[in-house]
Amino acid sequence: MNHRITLTSAVALFAASALWAGTATAEDVITLGASVQLTGTNANTGRYYRDAYQLTIDKINAAGGVKVGDKSYMLKLDLLDNQSDVNLSVRQYVQLVSADKVNFLLGPFASNFALSDSSVAEKYQIPMVQGGGASTQIYTRGYKYVFGTLPPADDYYASTIEMMGKLDPAPKTVALVAADDSFDVSVAKGTRAHLKDAGMTVAVDETYREGSSDFSSILTQVKAANVDAILWTGHETEALNFIRQMKGLNVSPTGLSAFTVGVPTADFRKALGDDANYAFGMTSWLPDASLKDKWFGDAAQFATEFTAKYNYAPDYHAASGAADVETFVEAIEKAGTLDPAKVRDAIAGIGFDSLYAHVKYGDNGQIVLPQVVVQIQKGDMVPVYTTDFINKAMYPVPAWDKR
Amino acid sequence: MMKRWTLIVAVIVAVALAFVPLVGSDTMIQFGINALLLATLAQSWNILGGFGGYVSFGNSVFYGLGTYGTAIAMTNYNLPFGVGLVVGVILAMIGAALVGLPILRLRGPYFAIATLGLNGAMMAIFSNLPIAGSNIGLVLPLTRNDTMFYELALGLLAACTLTVLWISRSRYGMGLIAIREDEDAAGTMGVNATLYKVSALILASIFTAVAGGIHAYWSTFVDPASAFDSTLNVRMVIMCVFGGPGTVFGPVIGSFVLSTVYEVLAAQISTAAALLFGFVIVLAVVFMPRGLADVVKGGKGLSWRYFIRNIRENRL
Amino acid sequence: MVLAQILLNGILLGGLYGLMALGMALVWGVLNIVNLAHGALIMLGGYVVYYLFTLGGIDPFLALPIAMVVMFCAGFALQWGLLNLVVRSKMLNTLLITFGLDVVLTFTAQLLFSADFRTINPSYAGSNFPLFGLTVPIVRLAAFGVAVALAAALWFVLNRMPLGRAIRATAQNLVAARLYGVNPRVLYAVTFGIGTALAGAAGGLYGMISNLTPYIGASLTAKSFVIAIIGGLANPFNVILGGIFVGVAESLTALYLGPTYTDVISFGLLVVVLVLRPKRAVRAA
Repeated sequence: MNHRITLTSAVALFAASALWAGTATAEDVITLGASVQLTGTNANTGRYYRDAYQLTIDKINAAGGVKVGDKSYMLKLDLLDNQSDVNLSVRQYVQLVSADKVNFLLGPFASNFALSDSSVAEKYQIPMVQGGGASTQIYTRGYKYVFGTLPPADDYYASTIEMMGKLDPAPKTVALVAADDSFDVSVAKGTRAHLKDAGMTVAVDETYREGSSDFSSILTQVKAANVDAILWTGHETEALNFIRQMKGLNVSPTGLSAFTVGVPTADFRKALGDDANYAFGMTSWLPDASLKDKWFGDAAQFATEFTAKYNYAPDYHAASGAADVETFVEAIEKAGTLDPAKVRDAIAGIGFDSLYAHVKYGDNGQIVLPQVVVQIQKGDMVPVYTTDFINKAMYPVPAWDKR
Repeated sequence: MMKRWTLIVAVIVAVALAFVPLVGSDTMIQFGINALLLATLAQSWNILGGFGGYVSFGNSVFYGLGTYGTAIAMTNYNLPFGVGLVVGVILAMIGAALVGLPILRLRGPYFAIATLGLNGAMMAIFSNLPIAGSNIGLVLPLTRNDTMFYELALGLLAACTLTVLWISRSRYGMGLIAIREDEDAAGTMGVNATLYKVSALILASIFTAVAGGIHAYWSTFVDPASAFDSTLNVRMVIMCVFGGPGTVFGPVIGSFVLSTVYEVLAAQISTAAALLFGFVIVLAVVFMPRGLADVVKGGKGLSWRYFIRNIRENRL
Repeated sequence: MVLAQILLNGILLGGLYGLMALGMALVWGVLNIVNLAHGALIMLGGYVVYYLFTLGGIDPFLALPIAMVVMFCAGFALQWGLLNLVVRSKMLNTLLITFGLDVVLTFTAQLLFSADFRTINPSYAGSNFPLFGLTVPIVRLAAFGVAVALAAALWFVLNRMPLGRAIRATAQNLVAARLYGVNPRVLYAVTFGIGTALAGAAGGLYGMISNLTPYIGASLTAKSFVIAIIGGLANPFNVILGGIFVGVAESLTALYLGPTYTDVISFGLLVVVLVLRPKRAVRAA
């Protein structure tokens, strides 16, 4: 008797679980689905995507929405929290596609999420434009439905190394420190090649476990090797620890130290305070008025509106996310239909100016953009170099006790 | 003990579940694959954990070995999926035998902690193995056949549950229970404890590895963090214990219920979902320490007194 | 010189590792609760110190004792109100309830403090001084000193004070505790409170050396486990030594094998230590 009750109720629950999701999709609405890290270890960066998606969608709707033929559609965001859990995020994307019947997909943050989640897009042949994964691994699988607005990880340090060659005195020996996840391994691999081309020696080449909090062993070796420059790639929390421990162990390369992440983030600079000064970093985007945009006017206005609404400043993650939404609008209007395959083809052939950059996807689906080298000077982030110097770099960087 | 109609209901339910892909939506199938795989994991944990009383946090090691066995065979050697599964199972069985002998000498929390350490070590080892794609992981070929994955997962759960059913009625199971109740006494009664424990671990590793292999091919991407995920192991334990460890259907029901609760929470009120999940665990341990199966056994006589009695029994 | 510096790094960090494990070892040894929420409690202690420092303007080292009092109260309440309800249940159930607690604490912290990372960054955070050609970071040295001092204090309480004798008696036998005229419920809560206070101190120091997010708990729990096992549950000084052992082992691994292998070594050590010391492990079934 009792077993039967339990079994049947289990089945009922099992069955009911498929029914909770709403199935109604209003006729004149285009739904964009995304699963983003709103909680968990990646929540700190995940929020950029949530807020950028929402802000851009609101802005486009306020301007009359999307025109398909002679009909106007409003955009709607269907956003789920994947709790920084890759498995959950895959399930949520499937839910978005099959139960929530979203029209198109926006991406999550981080390469390892994009790597898994893009399989869902490919499987169901729904285009996904994602602005959170830069690893080249995402784009070498021959997938047709995945597009990305972060430039290839391999080239993140290209502009920095080019700049280093023009500094006086130019750094000759370099310590390369990288985390061991998909994105950072890509960065390290590309950086080694770029360093070789530039004729610089990699004196220390260390890979660490992602999530590490103690860098004292690496730093001791870097110090002993007496290098001119440190090129570092990993995650923001790790960068924070690395810089603090550099100071604690009194490690200061005679030239500079540069980081792939963290430097453009206000929260990061706040947490480090004065110790953040002189650190070099990079960004694929700056809130510059020269980047014209159909909806926001330009990138500077986007930054102002974003900051006013969410009380923190956007960085390239947010701009990249905004460009993802705009990509869909441009492509849908160009295709004149909501058919996924046709919109996919339209995205592949797109080319438009946005607050983020001139958006155009390569054959593999990934955008190509130069990284702007930035430096923290007296607490502010200052752009230093793209293909030539924009502002003067504070170089060489003084030792910790001489600041 | 086990009434005949319970089995009949179980068979009907299993057959009904087999037809879900014909009528269910994609999400339902997706959810089903996950729930079935988790139930399999909970059920195979039940073999050593529920019957033998050995709390293992290292079953995710076998899950990871199954995952990687399948993934390495398919991506590095272009072998078919079936062969990959076999490779995974063999790896896991070897692992279970090698690991079981030294570690199963430990008891209580020491065994639990050793298995936890083992999982951490395995994750770290695989993230340094070039053949396994180091920490970046491996990408498997994409298949658009979720029905196959669903039926495979269902079949695996059925096989695992049948095995547990057999265990519950066999001398072998009695031996395991004897070890759980008092290992030293079981030894003096002529139960070869080492043989029982190691074979239970190997048995569990088979089903766990197959589940890992299915999941790997289905999700098309494996990396050390998802293959050797200790929270997955905690989830198996919770689902088994929530349903009723040492029972035949408890772990299956427990994991279906919790999977559903978690899925609904994650979809509806996502930010607070994990928080509520935590509360559910805490409350479940306080009020029903012997699992759902025990609550249900109380039947019509069930009242608040049952829960109060549970607290009385265990409080200081 | 590199080797000497790396040994020093390992020893200094190991002291803090030891302090992290101290509270876990105490609770485990006396109450027989393997506290999976221990790392989350360390995390909470870190936030208490962080807010005392940033909002209250109190020097973080002076804030440590305040945080310890706060955390003691929290731990006392937790044991009194919740864990006392299940202590006589199976070991598995206490594992599960503390796991549930870990989830609850982590996500409550996320709601309260947000996922932003916080660092406790006093003006002297990066200061260091040279010693025989080595660089000694002041905060790490101080953290090491605090860890040893707290271990000594715990040793004194356990071995030289009536409360300590009652606690140790409880570890042997619940009934024996009554002989000391102490209500075991209170004693359990006090013991858990002391463990939590030690976790709180470790959290404050951790926030000065590393950074705080709501999610650091799980990895700290794992680390505390390893050290509590290696150091044993009986003597506070051994736990600190266990921490130093792990700290040095990790540093040397990073130097000779590469930083990606540190986890292989620390988890490997745990398994090996357990397997090679079966006598104690089997006894405590």
